[in-house]
Amino acid sequence: MVKSEKAIERTKTAPAMAWAVAFAAWFVPGLGHLLVHRWVRAALMGGSIWTCFILGMAMGGHMFSLSTGQGSSPLLQVPPMIANLGSGSLYIMCWLLDKGFADDLVQAARATYEYGNTFLLIAGLLNYLTMLDAFDIAAGRKP
Amino acid sequence: MRHFLVMTVFAVLTSVVFGSVAKDTPRERCLYGLKVFAEFMVIGLILGWILYFIP
Repeated sequence: MVKSEKAIERTKTAPAMAWAVAFAAWFVPGLGHLLVHRWVRAALMGGSIWTCFILGMAMGGHMFSLSTGQGSSPLLQVPPMIANLGSGSLYIMCWLLDKGFADDLVQAARATYEYGNTFLLIAGLLNYLTMLDAFDIAAGRKP
Repeated sequence: MRHFLVMTVFAVLTSVVFGSVAKDTPRERCLYGLKVFAEFMVIGLILGWILYFIP
């Protein structure tokens, strides 16, 4: 197959199933790979993301939402919020239960506070990668 | 010690995901994951020592 044919094949519309898998992968880390029967990848990637998120919360990390800023600073909350939002249902659950969003000075004084923030951000960003990987597998673009 | 442990855990978790998404064969993935882990650790230690001498 020549290069241009390969490129055309890649740009074909992805099946609806692939979008559903991508949504599932975003919503529950690891679920996307389970749906496409990639058990080892699901365990490794999903396990890493869950561990990252749980450790981030245990270290007293803070999650971002638009309501945490004042004045023009809500705009500054957008990039970290997008990163946090990558955790899918974990972020939504914490938001609903109001866990990890409070601006608590005692929590911020903890030695592991910044580590926790980083772990929570990275959990979301890694889940975006996982989601794209699951989408590519479901769309047949990746073995 | 705690800082080093956290850095190591971070490097492990991140390199597992990076290794899983990249490359084509399981062997290549393992090697890539190990390479990413080593890079995280080495660069982290170098930066740590540089920052140690900066007041």
